[in-house]
Amino acid sequence: MELNKLERYWLTAVGMMLGAFVAATIVALLFFGIRLPSPVDRIDPQRLEETVFANPGIRQLAGNRYEAYVVAKSWAFEAGPDLGTPPVLRFPRGAEVTFYVTSKDVMHGFQIEGHTANLELVPGQIAKTTVRFNRSGEYAIICNHYCGAGHSVMYATIRVE
Amino acid sequence: MATISLAHQLPTNPRSLTMVMRERYLVGAHIITALIALMFGIFMGPFQAFHRSPTFVRYFPSIPIFSYYYQAVTAHGVMNALFFTTFFIIGFTYFVVERSLQRKLRLGSLAWVAYVSMAVGLVMMLATLLTEPQRSAVLYTFYPPMIAPALFYFGLVLLALGSWIASAIVFLTYRDWRREHPGERVPLAVFILIVNLIVWDVATIGVAIELVFMLIPASLGILQTVEPQLGRTLFWFFGHPLVYFWLLPAYVSWYTMLPRQAGGKLFSEPLARVAFLMFLLFSVPVGLHHQFSDPGVSASSKGVHTLLTLIVSVPSFMTAFNVGAALENAGRNNGGKGLLGWVWKQRWGDPIVALQLFGMLTFIAGGFSGLINASSQLNATIHNTSWVPAHFHQTLGGAVTLTYISIVYWMLPAIRGRQLFSKKLALWQGITWFVGMTLFGLSMGEAGLAGAPRRAVTSAAPYLSERALFWLDVTAISGLILLISSILLYVNIVGTLFFSRRPVEAGEIPITTRSGDTRSPLWFERWGIWLGVLGLLLLMAYGPVFVEMLTYEWNILRYVPVINTPMR
Repeated sequence: MELNKLERYWLTAVGMMLGAFVAATIVALLFFGIRLPSPVDRIDPQRLEETVFANPGIRQLAGNRYEAYVVAKSWAFEAGPDLGTPPVLRFPRGAEVTFYVTSKDVMHGFQIEGHTANLELVPGQIAKTTVRFNRSGEYAIICNHYCGAGHSVMYATIRVE
Repeated sequence: MATISLAHQLPTNPRSLTMVMRERYLVGAHIITALIALMFGIFMGPFQAFHRSPTFVRYFPSIPIFSYYYQAVTAHGVMNALFFTTFFIIGFTYFVVERSLQRKLRLGSLAWVAYVSMAVGLVMMLATLLTEPQRSAVLYTFYPPMIAPALFYFGLVLLALGSWIASAIVFLTYRDWRREHPGERVPLAVFILIVNLIVWDVATIGVAIELVFMLIPASLGILQTVEPQLGRTLFWFFGHPLVYFWLLPAYVSWYTMLPRQAGGKLFSEPLARVAFLMFLLFSVPVGLHHQFSDPGVSASSKGVHTLLTLIVSVPSFMTAFNVGAALENAGRNNGGKGLLGWVWKQRWGDPIVALQLFGMLTFIAGGFSGLINASSQLNATIHNTSWVPAHFHQTLGGAVTLTYISIVYWMLPAIRGRQLFSKKLALWQGITWFVGMTLFGLSMGEAGLAGAPRRAVTSAAPYLSERALFWLDVTAISGLILLISSILLYVNIVGTLFFSRRPVEAGEIPITTRSGDTRSPLWFERWGIWLGVLGLLLLMAYGPVFVEMLTYEWNILRYVPVINTPMR
């Protein structure tokens, strides 16, 4: 089955464009370190008090690195009693924060406004993402997965100062 | 007696706009049921756009439907995306297959069994949505552990069951034709529809397993716990090929009908067949691109699906070339000169042509936004934001729906035996739909980039930026335009069915009964080979995912309790 000349040109152009997309994906992975979520661990959502999520909140590691443990439930994010409701998470500018998030009941979402952090929170799974906060300001953590009647008021705040 | 024998005939002219009795009943039942389902879904849409807009809600706080946002989203998705499309596609497939192959459906009376199964499914679904609006608000993706009443899932099972019977009927009819026509290529339209039904049958296996082994037992109280990550994966095994199941019948119209409707000729039929074989292979093993943000799926599998998703855009680029060339041919035949003169010389005044051209225009924006979604890291900026509905309203709400409506504008008169109520109204319906959907795509996309989530009462959200709220207000305007367009559509449908007096005009349905293609290899129709290759691709793309999920140390069904009160 022979191809028409114009068909050949077109398919070559399409192939090159898709090749560029694949290359961009690889560059983003290798040079910018943008990784997709991958399995961390499973967890019993009814017994979170026996896990690392027993005391949610922020832990400072060496230097400007932090870990934050957050629990999502209908319809709030929980990050420990010190951070208020809805919680306000404060980090210094330049902080590199690894978030560990899980859901206690139904599906929830975890998106940080203005940053490439976007997790599905599947009950029974621990979701993990790492974000570097380079600009000071206030960013919402948004539940972006439908979780019932109170979905649209489920949020938290990150304050970078 | 005369009527009875007539009732078993095919029309002598396959391009006749007059239907024979059995065709009129069977195809008519499917198309009209589809339009009824669409009516329940379509009018929910604008109210969601209004409800998401803070300004609109401030001025009109007490519109009753505003208490039911998530119920409206559920009805909008289930009715438009599952019931309207399936009824329409099956009816359209029967019609095109019978006319193109010039033979009656094999086991044609089973087609009525299939229809009744799907129709009972529709009634069950409507009954659940209307009588249990709180508990059935699980949206059309129905992710566990949120569990709806059992009737919701039984409705879906009956819909799938009917569609499987229908595809068996079409496959048997094709097999008979194939045996009697060795060495011939099946008409392109039938080739596409067979690919479409294969994709559908393979894809529905995923959701059927989810329904039968997880969701139905959970809704009946047999299972107290479910595994949401497995449920999502089974759903998206079905959910992405589902969009090709909607798109391919529109491509039937673009490839095999539009060239003649526009006054031109298809550029290359063999290239078209290659495109559809690619759809057959690459539509299914791409579902993980809906799960790039899922914690329980490994990044390497997501990478494989990224690559396969980019490949499945190739046949749509081939379509852009092939159909684009056919339109250029048509435009030049109509007197278009120079580089772009053929664009203005299209039959923009004919609603049947114009709606499809509008659909193609929305598909350009929708297709490219799809490539952005497929690029796995970019997905993190738009995942679950209103960018996503912007994308699929331009592809499905735009290209697919406009093409289906253009088909309705010639098929409904054929079913009813009367002319379309108003061609002018039809054209204005198409224009308003195109403008409304383009504005919807722009504003929802912008709102999504500014952080507005999809499927949320954003007018009540305390966290949104001014920029997001502005674009949500613009979405409400697009909703108003689309509401007007929907009303125009149903005025024309009701008008054609009940008030049109003039008998249907002399005219032709562009059906091709013999393929003019002599170049494409005959092994293109060796479906066993393609199914084998598809099986291998699925094994490669999904094997590791399911093995990973099922071999974990825990009993995977034990830990996540069912929640059956989403709106408590």
